[in-house]
Amino acid sequence: MLRVTDLALSYGATPVLEGVGMEVEDGEFVSLVGPSGSGKSTILRAIIGLQAPSAGKVELGVAKDKIGFLFQDDALLPWRRAAENVALGLRLRGMAKADALARAEEWLGRLGLHGFGARYPRELSGGQRKRVALAQVLALEPQLLLMDEPFSALDAITRARLSQDLLKLVEDHRLSVLLVTHDLEEALALSDNVYLLSRGPKARIAGQYPVPIPRPRDIIKARTHPEFGPLLERIWQNLSREVVGEPGKDEQWAGFSIGL
Amino acid sequence: MGRIFDRPLTRQLIGLAVLLIVWQAAANAGWLNPLYMPSPVKIGAALYALFAGGTIWPHLAATFAAALGGLAIGVIVGVILGAAAAILPVIAELLEPVMILLNAVPRVVLAPLFVIWLGIGLASKVALSFLLVAVLIFFTVYTGIRQVDRKLVERVITLGGGRGTLLREVYMPSVTAWVLGNLKVAVGFAFTGAVVGEFVAATKGLGYLLSFAQSTYNAALMLALVLVIMVFVLLIFIASEWLEKRLTRWRG
Repeated sequence: MLRVTDLALSYGATPVLEGVGMEVEDGEFVSLVGPSGSGKSTILRAIIGLQAPSAGKVELGVAKDKIGFLFQDDALLPWRRAAENVALGLRLRGMAKADALARAEEWLGRLGLHGFGARYPRELSGGQRKRVALAQVLALEPQLLLMDEPFSALDAITRARLSQDLLKLVEDHRLSVLLVTHDLEEALALSDNVYLLSRGPKARIAGQYPVPIPRPRDIIKARTHPEFGPLLERIWQNLSREVVGEPGKDEQWAGFSIGL
Repeated sequence: MGRIFDRPLTRQLIGLAVLLIVWQAAANAGWLNPLYMPSPVKIGAALYALFAGGTIWPHLAATFAAALGGLAIGVIVGVILGAAAAILPVIAELLEPVMILLNAVPRVVLAPLFVIWLGIGLASKVALSFLLVAVLIFFTVYTGIRQVDRKLVERVITLGGGRGTLLREVYMPSVTAWVLGNLKVAVGFAFTGAVVGEFVAATKGLGYLLSFAQSTYNAALMLALVLVIMVFVLLIFIASEWLEKRLTRWRG
């Protein structure tokens, strides 16, 4: 579905990524974790073509318009109603306005926002806006879903419910997913495979961890699976080793959460 | 009964009434020189004479024509130049210094020049009013487009939108919102331009009447005219606020 080989990228003279390689199989849920500012988002931006890599390859097993990209911020058009925002991508693919709006309402309903189509983004809560943004992406029926810390701004309860709803949709439609997150627990609960990105600059893949928890999953119950704890601890130790010997760098890990 | 006094508007009106009464009483007592500071009743009489005799209408019409003409042309030209500068770096290079210069000087200093170029008729007033508005709108649009939310642009691109879509879905609504947000200021500028232009040289208009009142030492007429200008500009303020609210309902 997606293969990244030897990817390197710089912002001006600052090298951000070097020799990054990773893979997402068909129907696989992959997470990419790493400290803030290490270049996780940059990898996604390079995959979608918003940022040009200086070296390496991005191979896609799907057409560009079958990739859905969910941003960290719910960048909805503030002057468009929820349904119009969701319908935008469909309209750009040539669907008639009435059909696109009907489909948009359908997707909003599927994401628990039945009857919210006429609201402006300002009139929705953070969690609701996130659901609109998700509907906007899923309405295009993508085969590969790229997500950049999509739930980081939400409170814990909203976040858990939204993750569970998303996971169900992903499992039902057999979507391939690449999720960027700094939440190790979230990554483990959702993914089949977790990649660990090292600290930047010149960030690279520091480890890859298959998650042997069966599907379909419940994101809360997944945390009680016997493999969950040991795996979490192992990744956490590897993360910590990354930091040791780097005085003054510890604050980079401040954004990391580990459930204890 | 007590409720009505809880409203700020009620208290403001009472304050105004007290001020007018004290003012009138001071005038009656002979504490104010009527040549400099006529009483409210005298100003009211001058105001009444302006409207009852119908003398004010052609002057009001002239000022409104100049201000609204300058406003319309200023907004259109300001939007076009601002957008052009934001899109084409060459235009920005040429226009930016000129605009910064025009923005730095009080633009009304050009009023006498416009009279020489365009005569004492309507054209020189429209030109001054236009210049005041156009520079404001130029900066509104120019900086606005450059500061458009990158996230929205990228969002639309990843959904498959091209340049046309970006223009229609992101840039146009953003620019409209900024221009509408500055519309009230622009209206104020447009009337400043018109009245100052008339003040310098004209045969008609509220500014001309003001200059006439000054040359005849008629303070009552002057204050009456100031009142007329305030009321009409306020009405246009309310209208532009209504328009802004209506067109940017998404902002709430």
